[in-house]
Amino acid sequence: MTRGDSLSRRLLVWLLLPLLVLGSLMLLQAWFEARRTADRAFDRLLEAASLAIAEQVQWQDDRLWLDLPPAALEMLATDAEERVFYSLIDRRGRMITGNAELPGDQREAVSDDDTLLYRDVTWQGLSVRQGVRRTRLEDWQLREPFEVRVAHSREGRDALAAELWRANLAMILAMAALAIVALLLAIRTALAPLTRLRRAIRSRDPRTLAPLELRLPRELAELRDTVNELLARMRRVRANQERFIGDASHQLRTPLAGLSARAELALRQDDPARWREALVAMQATSSRTARLAMQLLSLTRLANPEYRPERAPLSLNAIAREAVREHWTACHRAGVDLGVATAAADVEILGIDWQLAEALGNLIDNARRYGARHVTIRVGEQPPSLSIEDDGPGIPAARRTLMLRPFHRDRDDLEGSGLGLAIVDGIARTHGARLAMSAGPGGVGLRVTLRFPGDSP
Amino acid sequence: MTLLLVEDDALLAETLTETLRLQGHEVCCLDDGSAAHERLAVPGHGLALVLLDLNLPGCGGLEVLEALRAHDRATPVLILTARGAVEDRVRGLDLGADDYLAKPFALDELEARVRALLRRRSPAAALTAGPLTLDIRQQRFTLEGEPLTLPPREQRLLACLMQHAGTPVDKARLAEEAFQGDAMGDNAIEVYVHRLRKRLAGSAVALRTVRGLGYLLEAE
Repeated sequence: MTRGDSLSRRLLVWLLLPLLVLGSLMLLQAWFEARRTADRAFDRLLEAASLAIAEQVQWQDDRLWLDLPPAALEMLATDAEERVFYSLIDRRGRMITGNAELPGDQREAVSDDDTLLYRDVTWQGLSVRQGVRRTRLEDWQLREPFEVRVAHSREGRDALAAELWRANLAMILAMAALAIVALLLAIRTALAPLTRLRRAIRSRDPRTLAPLELRLPRELAELRDTVNELLARMRRVRANQERFIGDASHQLRTPLAGLSARAELALRQDDPARWREALVAMQATSSRTARLAMQLLSLTRLANPEYRPERAPLSLNAIAREAVREHWTACHRAGVDLGVATAAADVEILGIDWQLAEALGNLIDNARRYGARHVTIRVGEQPPSLSIEDDGPGIPAARRTLMLRPFHRDRDDLEGSGLGLAIVDGIARTHGARLAMSAGPGGVGLRVTLRFPGDSP
Repeated sequence: MTLLLVEDDALLAETLTETLRLQGHEVCCLDDGSAAHERLAVPGHGLALVLLDLNLPGCGGLEVLEALRAHDRATPVLILTARGAVEDRVRGLDLGADDYLAKPFALDELEARVRALLRRRSPAAALTAGPLTLDIRQQRFTLEGEPLTLPPREQRLLACLMQHAGTPVDKARLAEEAFQGDAMGDNAIEVYVHRLRKRLAGSAVALRTVRGLGYLLEAE
């Protein structure tokens, strides 16, 4: 597990990010709530103070007159170092009295009667909360309108808001800490089976292909089953390989035993004619053994599922001609007439040239070995195909599929290795081609056809 | 004219050296890839032909070949190897080998290939196929010591077949050699081949038909 990418880290990040956003929103909301609560509480004080002032306004000597009770202002000054301002304004907007010329409020009053308007203003560089009360004298004969403006600086409000918010913050942080702890525990618990699976795989003997046996939650059980399927496939491949190696060893040991025995026998004799006889026999056996070893290599390569050589566009006509050029002399010496029937148009497929050459070589070799006199390589156009037709004894239909198995030989076959057709079959499969066997032209001999898929380039 | 044989199997090396010496060649034999690399990597090795195994101790045969081809493209190289797969053959030929023999091979085959490579190196004044010879400079044929006069097209056809004696030659190629681009049907080639066959009849050299492909000149 690299540090850069881990499941638990991903889970943590994707769970923590929304949690963080949520927490921030809660903090923000708590802040606004604290502000609102503080404002509500202090606005009550502004209301009470302005009311206390308004009640003291009287009409004397044709003008408004205020005798301000100290309590009216004291209630606005809390423990914090707040500054309190007031002013009384008459109907013409003139300031009658007060300790500061507070600005007016332009908003229309909701009713004509007694109203109070709050707002936050910055006045002379000071951020204050102001209340403007518009009212009239409560006199039965004179109802002179006037305005009381009251304001105080925000220290008290801010202190209260901060206090309220701090209480909330502590709670939110505690919740967040709890959530993170719970998250970590949950992730650990959820990922524990993964750790168990990793340990189980790591502690395995690399040579065993036995299936993994451990109880896992559903998602990991699927993974385990997939791994087990792969292991089962590998077991089959290995069993196949072991059988093949056993067969191969047997196949190679037999001719070597023959060679050794023949040499031993010759050494016991003194007749040069017998020696010559032995040498001829030994030469034949050794070249057959060498060919067998080569075929075993080809087959092993073809059976390797990891072996995927590059395919390139090829002309089947050219491949067929080349095969004739290569094998004609050997066939001619053995008294076999090898020929080619190319297609009128050039037939192109995607393939591996040397594999097709090897397939044709094996098929020509087989035909020659089994007593054909005439062998023809035929190129077909629709679908693209390569066929080898011979006039030999052929193979009865019932036994044709058997011939594709490695080391399978007919009983009367003394010379072949039983690998040729298996190799051709392997090559056909790497080309996605179908290998078909039928009777040759006129029902005589054998025709082996490689039919390639039609997706010619 | 020394031949270099690089082969690590003692029995095979001994047999091949003996065979080539009996053919009248001087043979130098190395059994190790590094020694071969040392000998071939620098100019002035003075060899007429290199017979090279691919599976060598010390240094791989393909590496040796690459080192040789880095400075010398002329000296022919014949690869001998147990890796019979055609894939390896292609790789060897791509790297600049001239020919390839998969082990095991018949000694006859080896001798023929060595002869062919040496001939290619110093183009002979004459081509021979059994009793038939062609004096290349004068374009004159002799059959069993007797001069054989031929019309130009038959002459060119036979010369082409002689160049590739022992291997089948495509009809298309023969047509091009004989008629040098003139459009002529396959039937025309057949006529000329028929005539040549009549001229060669009774001698130890035969003109064989390769069904569907072309013809081949073979000394019996």
